[in-house]
Amino acid sequence: MEEYRQGVILTCVALYMVMCIGVGLWAMRRTKSAGDFFVAGRGLGPIVVSLAVFSSTLSGFGFVGGPGLVYATGLSSIWMAVCSALGYATGFYLVSKRIRMIAEVRDTMSLPDVVYARYGSNAARLLTAGTILMGVLGYLATQILAMALVLQSILSASAMFADISLLACVVLSSAVLIFYCVTGGIIASVYTDLVQGIVMIISGALVVITAASVFDGGFAEVSNILLQNDGEDIMPFGTLGTMASLSWFFLFGLGLAGQPHVATKMMMNRKLSDNRIIMPMTVLGYVVAAMLWISVGVVMRALVLGDVALPLGAPDEAAPVFLSTYAHPLLAGIVFAGLFAAIMSTADGFLNIGAAAIIHDIPKAIRGRSLERELFWARTATVGLSVLSAFIALGSDKLVGLLGAFGWGMFAAALVPVVLIGLNWKQASARAAIVAITASLIVNLYMQLAGVSVPYGISGGFLAMLTSLLLFIGLSLAEKPKPLPKDIDRIMDL
Amino acid sequence: MKIIHVAFACLLAIAGITVFILLSEPPAGVTGIAHETAAGMKLGGDGAARLEPIGRAPFYFQIGVICFAASLLYMGVAERRRDTALKLSVLVMTGIALFVWYMLYSGYEAYLATGETDVVFGFPVPTNWMFWGIWGSFAVFDLFYVVMFRRYFLPYEDEEAFASLVAELKAEEERA
Repeated sequence: MEEYRQGVILTCVALYMVMCIGVGLWAMRRTKSAGDFFVAGRGLGPIVVSLAVFSSTLSGFGFVGGPGLVYATGLSSIWMAVCSALGYATGFYLVSKRIRMIAEVRDTMSLPDVVYARYGSNAARLLTAGTILMGVLGYLATQILAMALVLQSILSASAMFADISLLACVVLSSAVLIFYCVTGGIIASVYTDLVQGIVMIISGALVVITAASVFDGGFAEVSNILLQNDGEDIMPFGTLGTMASLSWFFLFGLGLAGQPHVATKMMMNRKLSDNRIIMPMTVLGYVVAAMLWISVGVVMRALVLGDVALPLGAPDEAAPVFLSTYAHPLLAGIVFAGLFAAIMSTADGFLNIGAAAIIHDIPKAIRGRSLERELFWARTATVGLSVLSAFIALGSDKLVGLLGAFGWGMFAAALVPVVLIGLNWKQASARAAIVAITASLIVNLYMQLAGVSVPYGISGGFLAMLTSLLLFIGLSLAEKPKPLPKDIDRIMDL
Repeated sequence: MKIIHVAFACLLAIAGITVFILLSEPPAGVTGIAHETAAGMKLGGDGAARLEPIGRAPFYFQIGVICFAASLLYMGVAERRRDTALKLSVLVMTGIALFVWYMLYSGYEAYLATGETDVVFGFPVPTNWMFWGIWGSFAVFDLFYVVMFRRYFLPYEDEEAFASLVAELKAEEERA
């Protein structure tokens, strides 16, 4: 089968793309309003929601960047993954019930809608929408670029497409993404997420088994090689050290539920009681899929440090090289499809919330109502946002790096206090929300634009999040509590 | 003292420790040393030397984070449902998380002191505490959510209260 390796990989990826297009066509018939387009009419079952939540969380970063980071720095980045149990706990304890209740009572379509319902402040709504739009552009650009680079690496290995350009790959991969997002909106997005989630779980599980068999002694031999050559890399804090690892744990563990593409999906379930099933499925799905991140990274590092393989050209090559050298062709095909699944499942969520920010949230915050013919403009905004992100991805590597690097931190720092704490504490005030979001943006932007290198590898996103949390709680405590709207007050008692 | 005050106190402690660390002079190679031949790869070097200027600050930092996380999760239960059994459960679950953290960190310190560690289930012992312990100690909170869902997170009477709120609002809307 080895001689058909490239053909098998291409077939798996092509089948996956065709499936996405099929789901888009099917979902188009179910999308009749902006409510269907943005929140699937709040009628999704628990399996769809749980797989959509976990697959949106684990982006292409987990499948490409994650193994690359472990190869480069040992286990430091694993703190971003082991915090998932805490991340989902905060999401379901603090966000899922209240956000779903507010969505039903106020007919909200987006996170900025929820922020407005809670605080009654258009400034808070505008800042939330602006934060989402900025983060979405960066994240989307990095996802599109990652998708195109992977496609280029697969296609260029075949004789027919040996000289395919990056531009052609951006166009090709974006076209599929745009098609199913525009035609089917969030319904297409979550149903592709369902398939994407399953592909990611299968990929994660099979890759661990493969990785364990690369060395005769399994992972114990991997650990012994690493302990003999460095040691710190296979210990809990990796080569980056304790504070880099622990600041990531804080940012990713407590910041997960503040990610708008994740929180928005918590508004879409049919019944509130489904959360009891959604939570464990989400946690387990993430854990199995994330095993690829750890196993591929440590094995590739041991291969290089143990002088079994030559050093990689760049850390991000860890997963592709592992798949092309050590995985069975069919497994490589499934994992490459899983890689596209991981990227697309995150990108479609971003397209959805970004389009909502443009045609719904920002106009509502400025002029009190959203655009006429919302569904039409939602589809137009989805195309526009994708094209703009593709241009950013192609035009400026620096900008992509800049926007992509602080996307998660920006969302977490700006939205965790306002959403996680604000939905569970009646005294939280609108003024504190505005100050917290603004401060988090200033700190994050300053860190990135000035290129500040924080001592001990402490994450800049962590510092921004800590600042916004302190300001949010401190200012709210200092203010006199104001009465809440009757419906929100009653929801917060439940 | 309300739970928000506990959360705020934890945040202040985390901020204080962070400031202390930021003001400490970082030793050379604190975030790793570049590998001589492998592009982009870093080695950890002397872990004990890297920790020398800040001592056990990371250990206390994470205690603050665990306590902050637990107080946030406690806030997720409606105020009138926070009974003694819940308080005890959260304390026990937080205790488990703190115990796991202690085992992880003390195991790591022992490795730094002796340069030796056992490999169990394919990985060094402190690493296992990280993989399974850190994840598992918060998975206990996840399990608590599933098991106690109808007691603390969505009791039947709350579900009914919400349904009647929705009905009231619909009736008001129709009247308007």
